[in-house]
Amino acid sequence: MASELVIKNLHANIEGKPILRGVNLTIRQGEIHALMGPNGSGKSTLSNVIMGNPQYEVTDGEIWFKGENILEYSPDRRARMRLFLAFQYPMSIPGVSVANFLRRSLEAVREGNKPYEEGENPTGKMQKRKTIPPGEFRKLLQAKMKLLKVDNSFINRSINDGFSGGEKKRAEILQMALLEPEIALMDETDSGLDIDALRIVSESVNALTGPNLGVLLITHYQRMLNYIKPDFVHVMFNGRIIKSGGRELALELEEKGYEWLRPADSENEVTADA
Amino acid sequence: MLNTLAPGFSRAAIEELSRYKGEPEWMLQLRLHAWETYESTPAPVGRRGDLGTFKTLAGFNYAQLVPFTATSGEDSLPPVIQQSLQQSLVNERSGLIVQLNSTVVHTELRDELKQQGVILTDLDTAVREHPDLVREYFMTKSVPVDASKYTALHAAFWSGGFFLYIPQGVEIVEPILAQVWVDSPLSAVFSHSLVIAGEQGSVRFVEEYNSLFEGDAPSLLSDVVEIFAKREAVVEFSSLQDLGQNVWNITNKNAVHENDASVTYVMADLGAKVNLETIGAGIHGNGGAAELVGVFFTDHDQRYAIHTLSDHVGLSTNAETLVKGVLTDRSRVEFDGMIRIRPKAQQTNSFLSAHGLMLSKQARGEFIPGLEIGANDVSASHGATSGQIDADQLFYLMVRGISRPEAERIIVQGFFEPVLQRIPVENLRTRLRRSIISRMSGVSESEADTWVDAQERWEIEGVDEGAISLDGNPNDDDIQLSEY
Repeated sequence: MASELVIKNLHANIEGKPILRGVNLTIRQGEIHALMGPNGSGKSTLSNVIMGNPQYEVTDGEIWFKGENILEYSPDRRARMRLFLAFQYPMSIPGVSVANFLRRSLEAVREGNKPYEEGENPTGKMQKRKTIPPGEFRKLLQAKMKLLKVDNSFINRSINDGFSGGEKKRAEILQMALLEPEIALMDETDSGLDIDALRIVSESVNALTGPNLGVLLITHYQRMLNYIKPDFVHVMFNGRIIKSGGRELALELEEKGYEWLRPADSENEVTADA
Repeated sequence: MLNTLAPGFSRAAIEELSRYKGEPEWMLQLRLHAWETYESTPAPVGRRGDLGTFKTLAGFNYAQLVPFTATSGEDSLPPVIQQSLQQSLVNERSGLIVQLNSTVVHTELRDELKQQGVILTDLDTAVREHPDLVREYFMTKSVPVDASKYTALHAAFWSGGFFLYIPQGVEIVEPILAQVWVDSPLSAVFSHSLVIAGEQGSVRFVEEYNSLFEGDAPSLLSDVVEIFAKREAVVEFSSLQDLGQNVWNITNKNAVHENDASVTYVMADLGAKVNLETIGAGIHGNGGAAELVGVFFTDHDQRYAIHTLSDHVGLSTNAETLVKGVLTDRSRVEFDGMIRIRPKAQQTNSFLSAHGLMLSKQARGEFIPGLEIGANDVSASHGATSGQIDADQLFYLMVRGISRPEAERIIVQGFFEPVLQRIPVENLRTRLRRSIISRMSGVSESEADTWVDAQERWEIEGVDEGAISLDGNPNDDDIQLSEY
């Protein structure tokens, strides 16, 4: 059965300020959803809340993944259930090589949905770790790099340290390829890319999509959707999804902008800027 | 025969110690003069509003300590020391010298080095056999007797100690390993390293400080390192301080550079309850170079005060100080790093950076850089920071499936890695990685080993593949791996 990510009436705050005001959305493996909307409508917040970023407080609603309510799960446990987030602004971590990090990450994700954090595991003991032999890991990584046409030199560098904008985004896609998520959230993966980089990144995403991967593609602009064909397009406004449709909706937005969709009641609402 | 002195420091105890050692009159007088300095110098109490390490040391009960603890049985090392030598910081060594409590119990040096005139001996022997050298260099120019109250105490009561002399032009390739062991509570152990590298001589000296007793009753290790690097000499001095957290440690290390001499310090501090450390580079000659690479990790109630000084006196000298440390639990670290450029020290290049990473809210770190510039044609920069683990970095790693404690460990490893890469002694790097990771929360010893082994295995394999080049190479499908 295809894995499902089901978001029900999700409300979330940052520093006491409401950003999400009742989001409903279902994404299944194999589907590509585009989430569009103006700056500050809550798109990035949604992806952060789905992954459990502790900076956000969920005040109402539920997030179900593979039949479990994951709201109380730590971010790492959600990742081990094969949820993935390609960050809008990937963090650089100096001194930690991409190779070592990816190997640990893959080992962790392969351990699957087990509680890890203190308190989640009643015995308080760490499970014995299953490691991936370096040779095996190298072969796997090599194959993924070839698929995505990623330069070998990536691997020796520190995570995202000194990477250009395009390199960071490609490194995110490489991680996605390696970790084989069932649902991937891609937060403005197109931002900051020139037209060539956009094409390369889009081709990489297309190389990964298929029946085993569901994607939520968060974007401002329609331009990435010239390369990646979504099955569904949703428009977010003031913390809610106010319109959903097929690919034609994206083209309509490109032509008309977002203003025509502004809900009647939004005049009275505080505009969120996150 | 004297085995131990009664607890407490006194003039009478000095006389008894010196008589027991059969010292010449000049050394007795040096000790007594130092004792007067000790008695008349107030204990440093630090600045207003600092973290209190000096005050804590000033309030320490010195009277409870036995100033001299002899160790007999020179031929057989205690099993724990023998074992440590099997997994020591240095695999291939040119020499070995071991101090247990107040006595040097073992000395060895390769024959070919002896034939070249290298001297490695305990300091008592040096006082007898090389009095001119000891009189000239012992606590005179590098770490003078009156540098502080604590150096005066050291000069008055020193025992044990190492003496290394490298004649002109002799290059010692494999390191010399020195170990200091403290095995009993309520003792004051004085270790002293006097290293004289003749013109164009070179040496790698690795010193390790350990303790072997349990319990709350404290001991004191008072340590002085004096390095003299003559013209174009090259000295690399690495130290690992891994004392138990019942040992109070006061250490002063200083180097005196002649023209074009180069001295590199590696400072690795993990242990001790209180650690007062002063490390200096006195770059007197023209064209000298000094480097200090420092790593520390503190937990529980440990308190460190670390002071570094790059003292530029000669023309056209270079210095670089790079210190990184992680603080957890309720530990406190004060770091004070000074760059001093004297009026005639034109064309100086000096750089200092110090960074502390705090893993707990109760840990406190103060990192203060200082700069005194008396010349106008210089380039100097300094930076010091301290802060907590970045929440966004942590979230990033956790979103990749890595649990919070491990994500913290990875960030700590990444924080240290650039400094660790600068440490030339491979076993020291390994030991530090293992030690640091195993002391972090949520990990057992065996897991720390796995983690570190994985890191090393990766790096080792990486070195093998380093030969493959990227562009247009038929092998360019292979992933290149190498140390960063």
